[in-house]
Amino acid sequence: MDLKGTVNDVVNLVSKRAAVLLFFSLLFVVGLLAFVARYFNNASLWVQHPANKHLYENGKLLSQGTIYDRRGSILAQINDGSITFNEDQMVRTALMHTTGDIENNVGTGALVAFGDRLSGWNIIDGVYRFNKSPAPGDDLVLTLDADLCTMAYRELSPYKGAVGVYNYKTGEILCMASTPSFDPQNPPAVEAGPEKYEGIYINNFLSARYTPGSIFKLVTTAAALDSLDNVENRTYPCAGELQVGGDRVTCMASHGEVTLEQALAHSCNCAFARITLDLGAEKLQEYADLAGFNSGLEIDGIKTVAGRVDLAEAEGVDLAWAGIGQYTNTANPLNFMAFMGAIANDGVRVTPEIIRDEGLSSFIKTTQKKRILSPQTAKKLKQMMRNNTVSVYGEENFKGLELCAKSGTAQVGGGKKPHAWFAGFLDRRDFPLAFVVVIENGGSGGKIAAPVAATVLQQAVDSP
Amino acid sequence: MNNVLESVKQLLEWLPAGSPLVFSGIADLPPYFKTILELYTLFVRGLFPILAFIILLSCMLLLWPDRKEDEVRGYLLLKDGSRMPLKYWENSIGRSKASDLEIAFAYVSRSHAVLTFRDKSWHLTDVGSKGGVEVNGAKVEKTESLDYGDTISFAGIEAVLVPAEKPVHNHRDLTSAPPESKVNPGMIFALILLFQVLGAVQSCIAAGAVLNLAVPVTFLVFILAECLFFFSVQRWSQRSFDLELLLCFLSGLSLFIVASAHPDLLYKQLAAIFLGVAVYTIIGIMIYDPERARKLKYVFVAAAIVLLALNLALGKTYFGAKRWIDLGFITIQPSEFVKIAFVMAGTATLDRLLTTRNMTAFILFSGACIGALVFIRDFGTVAVFFGAFIVIAFMRSGDLRTIALASAGAAIGALAVISFIPYVATRFAAWGKVWEYADTTGYQQARTMIAAASGGLLGVGAGNGYLAKIAAADTDLVFGIICEEWGFLVAITTVLVFIFLAVYAVSLAKGCRSSLYAIAACGAASMLLFQTALNVLGPVDIFPLTGITMPFVSRGGSSMISAWGLLAFIKTAADRFGSERNGE
Repeated sequence: MDLKGTVNDVVNLVSKRAAVLLFFSLLFVVGLLAFVARYFNNASLWVQHPANKHLYENGKLLSQGTIYDRRGSILAQINDGSITFNEDQMVRTALMHTTGDIENNVGTGALVAFGDRLSGWNIIDGVYRFNKSPAPGDDLVLTLDADLCTMAYRELSPYKGAVGVYNYKTGEILCMASTPSFDPQNPPAVEAGPEKYEGIYINNFLSARYTPGSIFKLVTTAAALDSLDNVENRTYPCAGELQVGGDRVTCMASHGEVTLEQALAHSCNCAFARITLDLGAEKLQEYADLAGFNSGLEIDGIKTVAGRVDLAEAEGVDLAWAGIGQYTNTANPLNFMAFMGAIANDGVRVTPEIIRDEGLSSFIKTTQKKRILSPQTAKKLKQMMRNNTVSVYGEENFKGLELCAKSGTAQVGGGKKPHAWFAGFLDRRDFPLAFVVVIENGGSGGKIAAPVAATVLQQAVDSP
Repeated sequence: MNNVLESVKQLLEWLPAGSPLVFSGIADLPPYFKTILELYTLFVRGLFPILAFIILLSCMLLLWPDRKEDEVRGYLLLKDGSRMPLKYWENSIGRSKASDLEIAFAYVSRSHAVLTFRDKSWHLTDVGSKGGVEVNGAKVEKTESLDYGDTISFAGIEAVLVPAEKPVHNHRDLTSAPPESKVNPGMIFALILLFQVLGAVQSCIAAGAVLNLAVPVTFLVFILAECLFFFSVQRWSQRSFDLELLLCFLSGLSLFIVASAHPDLLYKQLAAIFLGVAVYTIIGIMIYDPERARKLKYVFVAAAIVLLALNLALGKTYFGAKRWIDLGFITIQPSEFVKIAFVMAGTATLDRLLTTRNMTAFILFSGACIGALVFIRDFGTVAVFFGAFIVIAFMRSGDLRTIALASAGAAIGALAVISFIPYVATRFAAWGKVWEYADTTGYQQARTMIAAASGGLLGVGAGNGYLAKIAAADTDLVFGIICEEWGFLVAITTVLVFIFLAVYAVSLAKGCRSSLYAIAACGAASMLLFQTALNVLGPVDIFPLTGITMPFVSRGGSSMISAWGLLAFIKTAADRFGSERNGE
């Protein structure tokens, strides 16, 4: 008889089926992890809800935090539930977008964005404070120079626009100004107000996007330097306009035969139209993405709005205009300033920062760096931007600044004046500063925006 | 009794800010004294997460079964000379590969017979085989007890039952674990006491001048009772004090929460814990013998049906659910006690499992329970019951298709409930958007998350939170209270205790004395797990809010008692040696 008795090593039936409970346990763990992730991402927001009795009493903030600038001037102070600002009305107004207003309408303002730190909250201790006394975490020191911001605001104030200056080695933002603004101590009736209050709660430097115009030629130039053979040794003809398909690209003047360097200095549209068509949409898109378009930055947790370059459907004259900074392109001032910083810093972009960390936290915090251009490309761009100043903008207007820059005059259509741009950096070891100036419907970049930049940068160098 | 109170009073004079009798107000204290109290809070809030984590970890080490379970309890000697070891208390025999002892012979049925060891001897059950079972030539109708040396015939295949080399009923050999490899329960118990003493002092400090005398008294009584429990189990019980350690820890947490939220209800909560331990002990004794447990099941089911009927007839409605019965001096939640019967109803011994394959009775009972719960609008508990039903039904049938069908049916039912019952619909409306409804239907969730964020990782200190003051927070939002007052780390550790309990129950299933206990333990653990999952993930907006308690931790007598009752199933499953231990 063929008989076989086997002892199965499998555990008995029922205990094998018990694994179904392991499955449910695992699901619970997944749910729990989802909460843990949310907690670490959002606890700083949850804690600021006005219903939090640890921080608010009858809707009034209980904390005692103060916001200082880099020189120790008080920008805003929370005391017994009320907020006071700098004693100088001009300073208050210039820094309104930085601090935020009483009603918390400015989402990127420090009172909102850093409300958790001002209230003394941190992820480890929560709202706990030893002896209920204000902890050092209650105060916030910004990297900004209030005087510089005020000067920038003054220069900017007849127009709408933004000014920004930052240290491209350390990432510290020294100057940030956005117009229009108002005195947060005496807020106007914005809802009832006319056009002049339009966009008043938006910090244009961080959250606006404008057609870039010719400053975008720096992106096209970077792509050309890396991708087109012999581009530096050849010339491009310019007869004042260029036929592309059935359409045409127009130029400010008839520049004749120009090199790449001359084309950038004189902002020759015809030459850049040809270069762009040689590059093709894909290449230009790649360099636009590298330059920081289509992705925002995070400035100590404040997200900036990303500029847009989408060339998926651009061809012919559309593509040519895109390489000149028109078409559907938009740029965010801060992101473009960071691109300037990258050119200045041998191709490495240091992410801008606005909180000055002192003591222990300065050891923990690391500046974020990203290489976006090769050192060679960055160096060539720098030389060409220096040439712009020397040969076109006039060195006498920027004495001793070692200015490298590019102007932009962005056509906006609709019968409105173009946006005036001026962006670049100082090629100085002692003042490694990159900057951007944008003035809505201001006119020519070289005529309107450049003087603003000159005044602000001179002040930054003169009284560091 | 008066003496005790007197000495408590004396002790309080030593406790900082202990009693309003001693200090008229905390404001009158000298400033340096307040600083000392603040320093205390600063110190302990860092210590609690470490303690909690060590307690959990060492309990896990203590409880994790040694993999020395290949204990052979006897052999079946086949004609060809091969020897099949009997490794379990219940061994299935048949042609199927899923059988513990597989006899590959055409006349043997796929599931032929079950050999069970109980009452110090082996029993053979024919589980409906075609070929029949004979012992010493006599046909076995249903179950027959065996002696060593008996010849068994499975459809003509003969085998002789012989004892193991080491006799099974020598309990010294069965207490297999070498003691040095284990964590010392006494050490863990000491850590738990430390946690609770430090926490109790913190609760008193936080209350300051408005300290309710109930706080120190409750903790004093609780800690003394705990010691009594520990030492009496160590001294008189054959079982070890291991699972209970985790439960002492959780019960202590429940007292901290009640001390923050409703100090006047502390004595009630303490009484609930004592009652819970009593129920735990009684159920443990009642189901000790699998045969008795099997018969008791019907009594439990009958009691459950009566309870549910009473609930339907006399229930009071609070917060949209009719889940309470008011007895005048006390309100109870019958559905809590039904949980115990539900788990019992789902159990079966292996021979029953293989003889009566259909689960009609269990399904009917489940349907009745869930139907009644839907009727009284206790939807959180419905979800818990359904989860436990899935686990139990799968353990009994192993049939994924049936389970899938049941789930689909439940999903349709759930949809119907959501769309037709406004009270549920509003809760679903707030799900995922609680901040938009932060002052209406998302009120509790938003407050819970604010509290959790305010606590940070280390918490603001027991008694210093605001969430506890919200209505029903100490039942439904306890996770948030722990986050706020004890910190995120302690809260997560607390949840991990329940996840560990579930994994532990699964690990127990292998060496159980009967599959009845394996099913009971897993069913009970799944009840606890699902309930905790809803309690934790509902208020933080991962799930819709259902308003359900966290077992052992939330305030409430019915919930506390039923949780301890469920625990008895896990404890019994952990007892691998049964009456053999006491038999010597």
